Amino acid sequence: MSPALAPDVVLAAAAGNVDPGVVLQAGDWEFVYRNRRFLLYGAGVTVLLTLTSVVLGLLAGLPAGIVEVYGSGPVAAAVNRAGVLLRGTPLLVILAFTFFVNPINVGAFEAATLGLGLRSAAYQSQIFRGAIQSVGQGQMEAARSVGMSQFEAIRHVVVPQALRRSIPGFQNEFTIVLKDTSVAFFIGLAELLTRGFNLFTQPGQSTSVLEVILAVSAVYFVLTVLTNQGLELLGRRFAIPGTGGER
Amino acid sequence: MSDANALLEFEDVHQSYGEEKVLRGIDFEMERGDVEVVIGPSGSGKSTMLRCVNRLTEIDSGTIYLDGDPVTTPETDVNALRRRVGMVFQDFNLFAHRTALGNVTLGLREVLGHSKEEARAEAMSQLERVGLANQADSYPAELSGGQKQRVGIARALAMDPELMLFDEPTSALDPELIGEVLRVMRDLADDGMTMLCVTHEMGFAQEAASTISFLDEGSVVERGPPEQLFEAPEHERTGEFLERLTSLHGGQHG
Amino acid sequence: MSAETADEPGGSATTRGTVGVELSRRPLFYAVLGPFWAWLVVRWVYDWVVVPGTNVTSRETFFPTQPFVSAGEVLRETAAPPPLAGLLDWFAGGLDFIAFGIEALPQLAAGAWVTIVLTVVSILAGLVLAVPLSVARVYGNRVTRYPALAATELIRGTPLLAQLFVLYFGLGLTQYVRVIPGVGVGVLPDTAVMVALIGFTINSAAYQSEYIRSALLSVDSGQLTAGRAIGLSKVEAIRHVVLPQGLRFAIPGWSNELVYLIKYSSLASFITVRELFFRAEAIGNDTYLYVQIYTVAALFYIALVVSASAFMSYVEDRVAIPGLGTKGRR
Repeated sequence: MSPALAPDVVLAAAAGNVDPGVVLQAGDWEFVYRNRRFLLYGAGVTVLLTLTSVVLGLLAGLPAGIVEVYGSGPVAAAVNRAGVLLRGTPLLVILAFTFFVNPINVGAFEAATLGLGLRSAAYQSQIFRGAIQSVGQGQMEAARSVGMSQFEAIRHVVVPQALRRSIPGFQNEFTIVLKDTSVAFFIGLAELLTRGFNLFTQPGQSTSVLEVILAVSAVYFVLTVLTNQGLELLGRRFAIPGTGGER
Repeated sequence: MSDANALLEFEDVHQSYGEEKVLRGIDFEMERGDVEVVIGPSGSGKSTMLRCVNRLTEIDSGTIYLDGDPVTTPETDVNALRRRVGMVFQDFNLFAHRTALGNVTLGLREVLGHSKEEARAEAMSQLERVGLANQADSYPAELSGGQKQRVGIARALAMDPELMLFDEPTSALDPELIGEVLRVMRDLADDGMTMLCVTHEMGFAQEAASTISFLDEGSVVERGPPEQLFEAPEHERTGEFLERLTSLHGGQHG
Repeated sequence: MSAETADEPGGSATTRGTVGVELSRRPLFYAVLGPFWAWLVVRWVYDWVVVPGTNVTSRETFFPTQPFVSAGEVLRETAAPPPLAGLLDWFAGGLDFIAFGIEALPQLAAGAWVTIVLTVVSILAGLVLAVPLSVARVYGNRVTRYPALAATELIRGTPLLAQLFVLYFGLGLTQYVRVIPGVGVGVLPDTAVMVALIGFTINSAAYQSEYIRSALLSVDSGQLTAGRAIGLSKVEAIRHVVLPQGLRFAIPGWSNELVYLIKYSSLASFITVRELFFRAEAIGNDTYLYVQIYTVAALFYIALVVSASAFMSYVEDRVAIPGLGTKGRR
């Protein structure tokens, strides 16, 4: 934590001066309620950031997965290496690069999208790679034997099936990104956790710290549950009839 | 050099899987309208021989000719070759994400470039030909094994091939479903389609085949009309194999 | 490592994702990782035993930086035609980078120690909590199952950073942790690190319980029945028959968890823990050489992650039972 972000409550916590007697007061919950719009704006940013990052991850990750399975040796290996690097680097370091280290001055939201998106792409490529490999050789052979080129076979036969098999992994990745948006705290983006932090570090609000964070956590939890349910419904709608995906 | 009348010709074809030699110098010819059945023990190279025709498996040496054109050269347009040769798989390999109709129209639309209406009409007629017009909108997971295989046949026929390859088309089916597939294959043969079939169905072989080849350990041991192989085989191995086979699979299947 | 998903259809798959590093006996890996760990251990021993008490920021590096700096200067000053001059400058930049990296090593090593302590202690302590939690969910009755489920879902449904904030800012755990003897003494973790450990342990326990739960479900139910049939009680049967098999299925999940903790230990820097990322950030703020220091930090993390993956591959091979796939069902 940089010294600049060290208001009283932070120093107090570091020194261990939080008074346990006044934890969880009604007045503090009221404080949270009064500032609900402030916090919900942050939730909106969180949701938006999640969407943009997951989409970026999809746009980069699906081709990457395809290349890893069907690409020629050196190209597939290069894509795989890039993925290993991205998956082995902490998100915090990735954000440090996208925000502090780029030549053009990008805003916090763009930097966060880029960082989260690249990370997600690296993980989504693995999801799609596994799904493509699970589609099975026979489908590709049947498509080729009808005269389709490899590209056409990938496009019309393998990918449509692979996408459906990717749904559980994709659902999982979505909620991971949702929770990871909190790391954008590092670059000061006004997402939910940062808003919460800004709220409880206001002077005179040191007793409401716990209430604010619990409220913020509750919002994350609700978002996670809604996302899971929503994606589950979506998955069922697109399931191939007869394969048991739909209920 | 290829024979002008032959639709399919193998000329000294060799193929290995790594160190293992699978095909040892296969030579034979098929004419238009012939129904050739290939039999042999497992591991004899029957499926490989079939897959070499549409180049799902690549040969090591020799040449394969389709209607006089060599098709195993580097310059050959493999996709164009596969439009001329249809294949039916042991495991059906239906496109799981598309309906029966969708399975048949995919090639028509993407490979042959037909319009949506043309493809639909053509596909429906193929499905009728195999007796599945009423299942056009069903997905593979909703079909029985025999139905799936018939869709597979329709899918291959829709491309209007010169030659049809059948790779053990009934081996993955429950016994009571084998008959419907064999019936379709017999109708095809009667309609004059040139067919190369790997199968254990001796009933079909006896009735529909013009020639039967017995393949063992990568070579054609004996080749001739059904009467020859069943009643008076020239080689002992042929007779032994057929005896074993007919005691398991022989006879009619509806 | 495989992409690990739970076996339920429509998956309540809740994994951390995989790094996907396939580690065979690649000599390159060992040629790089071997010296890396050798240096790291020597550095720690030196700082704690040989010359203890030196302030982290004033520690001297083992390796000389002068040769690289001089070489860089030489390259820069060499006159050459334009394309070649650009290439020489680029090499000079590389040499400067190496010199800079070498200077940063002592501080990063100190940070890496905290990172590793956070990772290892949290995953082990998390395991101790996770096993009873997952057994409660798989074999328990309504009384044990629902609280375990609720706790797990709550932890897994909220961000790790928020959980750390609850413990550090919300509950002010530092004051309680402070009274534990030995905290902050010498090389032992200080109060902030203890709070971080608590946070990571709870979080990891929730995720590990999910991996273990799905692994236990992968064990054929006949195994438990057979165990009861020879007279073992339910607990004994679980302990001696189901768990040994189930835990092997969970190994891919643990690989993921280990890698996850190594990376997300960086979040502890927000609650003043002086781990690897904190040290890198501090150097960045001092020197303004952000690209360089974050690159070095990234390389450091990757070395840790790759080592962890290699270690888990080794573990997987060692405990493999012939015929019993460690990769669960599919």
